[in-house]
Amino acid sequence: MSTIEEKLWDYIDGNCTPQEADAVKMLIETDEVYRKKYNELQVLNSAIVGMEEDEPSMAFTYNVMECIRAEEASVPLKARVDRRIIWGISLFFILTIAVMLVYALSTIKLSAPGKLTDYTKVPVSQLNGLFTGPIGKGFLFFDMVMGLFVMDKVLRRRGMSKG
Amino acid sequence: MQSKLSDIELIQDTLNGDQSAYADLVKRHQRLVFTLAMRFVKNREDAEEVAQDCFVKAYRSLHSFQQQSKFSTWLYTIVYTTAMTLLRKKRVDTSSIDDESTYVQIENRTYGMDEHSAEGRSRSFYLNKAIDELMPDDATVITLFYKGEQSLEEISKVMGIEPNTVKVKLFRARQRLKQNLERSLGNEVNELI
Repeated sequence: MSTIEEKLWDYIDGNCTPQEADAVKMLIETDEVYRKKYNELQVLNSAIVGMEEDEPSMAFTYNVMECIRAEEASVPLKARVDRRIIWGISLFFILTIAVMLVYALSTIKLSAPGKLTDYTKVPVSQLNGLFTGPIGKGFLFFDMVMGLFVMDKVLRRRGMSKG
Repeated sequence: MQSKLSDIELIQDTLNGDQSAYADLVKRHQRLVFTLAMRFVKNREDAEEVAQDCFVKAYRSLHSFQQQSKFSTWLYTIVYTTAMTLLRKKRVDTSSIDDESTYVQIENRTYGMDEHSAEGRSRSFYLNKAIDELMPDDATVITLFYKGEQSLEEISKVMGIEPNTVKVKLFRARQRLKQNLERSLGNEVNELI
């Protein structure tokens, strides 16, 4: 690197320490070579600073946003459904299974006489009534409401992305 | 009219689902992103495509922006990486761009004015022309330093090189720019700049 030019560019760019800046300033004031070179570089620097940037077309922002909207509309259903809904449904099923399991285990008659060889005959018959009674109907009704809720959300989003 | 909100506020709004906030970010940065793209592809249509691609990529990864640097630095990193990838792909199809002497072919660049008219001889016209004749890396360093208001450290992050290397590149880029101006303008260079 040319030392004079390097020193002067550092001075112009403000990359010098205060001591270095003072030394370069002194050289510019006293040395003709430095002064000439400094003026030359300063003119070039001002010209670059004042240079205009290129400008994209008027529709550029619109095109970018259209591209983003189109990309979002094509996201698969799996990625579009809110994760909280999926977690809610999962939690409901896990809790239901856990409650049923606890209920079933608590009703098993472990003190029943005789040797238990057929495990299907464990007396948990009380559960059969659950699926035909009001609990079963309520469970199916809840599932249906959740399904409709998810479908509504998906259709709304699809409508918004088309509109 | 552009939003007066800061980049960070606009990013927060975008992450909260407000797409118009992102449109404001695009409006704010589009000129420099497009200018940077022009430094690599030298053609308005391709540069717009690259710039558009960069903004879409940035939108997609906005949640991963850690705010450890300026948004502009992060965005210019995407532009630089995208443009370099495109350039490498093109290099496979065409001759090497590393040969500096061959890198003066400027494809149908238009400045919207006649080169020989009074306006055409403006400072900006010749400076842009001289920058176009630089290697993409040199042109990028000059553009980021002067127009992107990026420090040497920030440019080093964008380009993935050491700050000292950026300093050397900037020094050489300015020398080459001056040479290009002198070559195209001769003695008129001092009058023009």
